[in-house]
Amino acid sequence: MAEEFNTESMLDIFLYESGQLLEKLEGIILEKQDADCFDDDDINEIFRVMHTIKGSSGVLMYENITKVTHKLEDVFYYLRESHPDDVPHMELVEKVLAVSDFVTGELDKLKNGETPDGDEKQLVEDLDEFLGRLKGEITKQGIQMPQANKHVEPTQFYITPVAGDDSHFYRISIHYRSDTQMSNLRAYSATYALKEVAEDLLYTPDDILSNEASADVIVAEGFHMLLQTKSSKEEVIALIDSSEAEEINFDELSKEEYGRALSEFGREEAEPAAAAPAATKDENNKEAKKEGPKPGDYVVKTKEAGKGKTLAKNQPKQQSIISVNVEKMDALMDLIGELVIAEAVVLQNPDLKVPGLELSNFQKASGQLSKITTELQEVIMSMRMMPLTNTFQKMRRIVFDVSRKLGKDIELEVIGENTEVDKNIIEHITDPLMHLVRNSVDHGIEENPEDRTSIGKPAKGKITLEAKNEGGKVYISVKDDGKGLSKEKLYQKALDKGLIENKAMSEFTEKEIFRFITLPGFSTKEEVTEYSGRGVGMDVVVKNIQSISGRLDISSVEFEGSEMTLVIPLTLAIINGIVVQVGNSPFVIETASIKEFVRVGEDSLISEPSGEEYIVLRGECYPFIRLNQRYDLPDSIDKIEEGIIVVLEHEGSQVCVLIDKLLQEQEIVVKPIPSYVRKVKGLSGCTQLGDGSIALILDIAGLLMHDGERR
Amino acid sequence: MKILLAEDDFASRKFMDKQLSRYGECDVMVDGEEAVDAFMMALEDGEPYDLACLDVMMPVMDGYQVLKAIRDIEAQKGIPKSKRVKVIMTTALNDERNVKMAFELGCEAYAGKPIDVEKFEKVLKKLGLI
Repeated sequence: MAEEFNTESMLDIFLYESGQLLEKLEGIILEKQDADCFDDDDINEIFRVMHTIKGSSGVLMYENITKVTHKLEDVFYYLRESHPDDVPHMELVEKVLAVSDFVTGELDKLKNGETPDGDEKQLVEDLDEFLGRLKGEITKQGIQMPQANKHVEPTQFYITPVAGDDSHFYRISIHYRSDTQMSNLRAYSATYALKEVAEDLLYTPDDILSNEASADVIVAEGFHMLLQTKSSKEEVIALIDSSEAEEINFDELSKEEYGRALSEFGREEAEPAAAAPAATKDENNKEAKKEGPKPGDYVVKTKEAGKGKTLAKNQPKQQSIISVNVEKMDALMDLIGELVIAEAVVLQNPDLKVPGLELSNFQKASGQLSKITTELQEVIMSMRMMPLTNTFQKMRRIVFDVSRKLGKDIELEVIGENTEVDKNIIEHITDPLMHLVRNSVDHGIEENPEDRTSIGKPAKGKITLEAKNEGGKVYISVKDDGKGLSKEKLYQKALDKGLIENKAMSEFTEKEIFRFITLPGFSTKEEVTEYSGRGVGMDVVVKNIQSISGRLDISSVEFEGSEMTLVIPLTLAIINGIVVQVGNSPFVIETASIKEFVRVGEDSLISEPSGEEYIVLRGECYPFIRLNQRYDLPDSIDKIEEGIIVVLEHEGSQVCVLIDKLLQEQEIVVKPIPSYVRKVKGLSGCTQLGDGSIALILDIAGLLMHDGERR
Repeated sequence: MKILLAEDDFASRKFMDKQLSRYGECDVMVDGEEAVDAFMMALEDGEPYDLACLDVMMPVMDGYQVLKAIRDIEAQKGIPKSKRVKVIMTTALNDERNVKMAFELGCEAYAGKPIDVEKFEKVLKKLGLI
């Protein structure tokens, strides 16, 4: 699953992230080295880079890195807060590069498994001196000195394991003399002695203490150990009691050989479950990784007597991370899509329907194939997953910038920024999310702190940005504790602008009224501000979100705040769908949007003189669409008692469609309708079915909209 | 200071015990449940632990569960944040996810095995334990 490929250690992540940040930093510096000064964006960015590296190096306790970045952060803090003129730009550039070089050097040492022991004193002194002059300059120019940059000391620490580089790996085989008594106890004393120095120890037979018969096995086949330790060969040999031993074979192995030997050891065991707890751990890990680790994932099964236990997990020294062109990933994704289709073509091939075929071997093989293609899909999906961290970072900036410009005091809380979503989706939601956040800052939070304090809210506004992953969907919400939406105002506005029918307010549900703000040309704010309120916006947000089959939920309580939630499918390309048939044409409906299938009689049908039709189900009335009429399909069922009614739901509205019959449920690879076909309302794409025919994918939102317009 | 050490593996236990005994009295537990029991007992006797070192992979309850249980008990008893026992996870599970989760559960430090003794001592200093 997704997370299975995201098991980089803390150190790897630190190295990777810091490396990326430094690259970005150098990019900025080199671009601006000939300019007169850094602009605000650069200063903010450099400040942020230093702040991040300072923070994470603090947690990992690389103190020289922390000190240096801390100093440079200070410098940029004063630049950011006071905007002094006449900063010696070239000197500043040199300082930044010096820091960047220093940190890069230390990171390289870490990558090579060395200790980052670079001396930071000179650099810190230089920076101090520079900062002193900068402060002098600020005072001279009569700019108010900002409050000292507040540094929060990390309260949690991560102690990196000592580098496993100097570990040796040995395979030790002891052959005892054939008349040795209690060879199992001798073997045990050898393992006991080795436990003193072992980082990892595995031996076979492994039941030396609990099973007396193991003595015979040891005499006959020898006693074999795999040992990982820091001690030298001589030290290890000295520990083993060799009095009764006829022969001790002692091989030093490379790490790779050791890894192979470990798995051989595992296979030699009678039952795989007994292949040392390492195996159980791995299984646990695998399960745990599927949904991210949880407390309780690492409970060890009670150790069986005499079984060796791995002390320290073998860790690959550094997982390498490569960046891949997104186009290649997309191409791979497409290919896998094609593979899924091809699989369906093979497995549902009409040739297989010949009566009397013996297919049991074929079924077995096809089961295996399906399993692999499913895994392949999961892997590629996981490769495309990215955390929302960067996106949320941007939002921080926006809140910071906009709230300062507008003079509002706003706090931003970010929850779940590690939530992972498909890269494609991230690209699509950044702009909408930016809009929502701006709206919250601009319209949501009250203009005057007094308006807040007078109704018992803290003077400081609060915006919460939250992301979570639930049931194959991602929920990203922007919540503010501002004034909330006024239903009356929304209704009046929509009516004045002629965006809605002239109906009484009570005829609309709360949700429908909130949704008015997503209508094109709607803006409740009287004046247009720089940041929002041009009236283009919410409708664009909704359009963007709908283009990736997501939706926008709005909830709000007047005077208490509003919450806008984007609900987006985790991935776009492959959906679970039900194939249905109308006339001779197959259609696909996404399984998640189907509420039920029913057969009803003619008496449930209500026909209006205008041609509209409704179906009454258990006292509820639903709009009814005949797909065959809508798309002019011949040879299809017209009488509703002969066909099947499918009740579909989208964003809380329902619609019924009439189909002829259900064909099957399967994974559907969504393909866009080719551009040479005119866009048809109610269809969102197409796919190829097992028998090679093309099925059209119904777009419920489109159907509903179409239906609404027709009315 | 009073130290609680939970570690099911003999060799690691011996090693940690030796290290920690330099700083104070060290109680050694072999599984997660015992660790919680010992923590509870010390709390009830009015002599709570100053430091708890928890292995992650242990029988009955794993280290994360123990950490959570400890923090829950402390929250329930209304022990202020500054008075809470300092918890250091000691484990070979060094994935970022695991570390993040442990931080979220409220441990003070996360030490990857094999443990870097020097840094370990530094952390004890930073936590104000020695």
